[in-house]
Amino acid sequence: MAYVVTDKCIRCKFMDCVAVCPVDCFYEGENMLVIKPDECIDCGVCEPECPAAAISADSDPAAAPWIALNAEYAALWPNIAEKKEPPADAAQWMNVDGKFESAFSPAPAEA
Amino acid sequence: MSNLNTETVLEVRHWTDRLFSFTATRDSAFRFKSGQFTMIGLDVNEKPLLRAYSLACAPHEEQLEFFSIKVPDGPLTSRLQMLKPGDPILVGRRPTGTLLLDNLKPGKRLYLLATGTGLAPFVSIAKDPEAYERFEHIILVHGCREVAELAYGEQVVADLKAHDFLGEYAQAQLLHYPTVTREPFRNRGRVTDLMESGQLFADLGLPDLDAEHDRVMLCGSPQMIADTKALLETRDFVEGAGNRPETYVVEKAFAER
Repeated sequence: MAYVVTDKCIRCKFMDCVAVCPVDCFYEGENMLVIKPDECIDCGVCEPECPAAAISADSDPAAAPWIALNAEYAALWPNIAEKKEPPADAAQWMNVDGKFESAFSPAPAEA
Repeated sequence: MSNLNTETVLEVRHWTDRLFSFTATRDSAFRFKSGQFTMIGLDVNEKPLLRAYSLACAPHEEQLEFFSIKVPDGPLTSRLQMLKPGDPILVGRRPTGTLLLDNLKPGKRLYLLATGTGLAPFVSIAKDPEAYERFEHIILVHGCREVAELAYGEQVVADLKAHDFLGEYAQAQLLHYPTVTREPFRNRGRVTDLMESGQLFADLGLPDLDAEHDRVMLCGSPQMIADTKALLETRDFVEGAGNRPETYVVEKAFAER
């Protein structure tokens, strides 16, 4: 079992999750984060911290479409261990539908 | 992981054939809040084998304290249970967790609901003067299957009430409600059933659960958490977090799967 970042993270990228993760299992893309499933210890501390409610346990139906994406991009993107400044327009991207189709970027975060 | 301190085990105490607690040295730079957990473990085949363990010690204490179950064939606990004073133990430098006093709004009563080893973070909170300053009563509810599993909690509460500094707070404000499901005991039944029926509150002489004045922390098995969350949510409790204090917080007791 692991936790999964969903499309709700896209363009919000608050990173409150990173600040509380005991094992640093978050990986950073240009406009969202993902969790590396075999590093996650399933502690669940990140889930309530996200202002966009973007994190779910992989047993939750909401997580199902995003499980493969997290595994795939966690292998490609750089690790993130410290919370950074979220994008200036993060709040405006909360509760927006269709963010994956319109806004997902496969690019890793800039170094 | 490079974020580890090597500490030394000080005392080990076995409470039943499946439960034990131990203390260890604490690095002077290691800081934490009551209710948090950190990664601890041992080098196994030259690699750190780590698991999340709640800190049962209080932030002002000089030693670290942990409470553990022995998981049959568990790769870590099968080794941890052999620990002796003087043995090394790895302790993660980044404590974290959801069971923080800061994650709750102010209130009158703080209910700490634990099953099994989920008691550990609440031992820390019950030793924290901050808890007694923020709440009129701290109610430590510990549900286990058998009476022998309650022993660690019983000792903690007895020690607290006799403590030089915390004793006054604990005697006036700490209520302890142990309960078992499988044996005769003065309190009998599952924590959620006892709350649902009102028995728990009646036994303690407290008003029934009320989201306006009560705050709750849960730590137990996935089943206990699911049942208790459902009960709380029907009574209008809302889950809190670091950036959004509310009326209840949850953490899984990691060993209880």
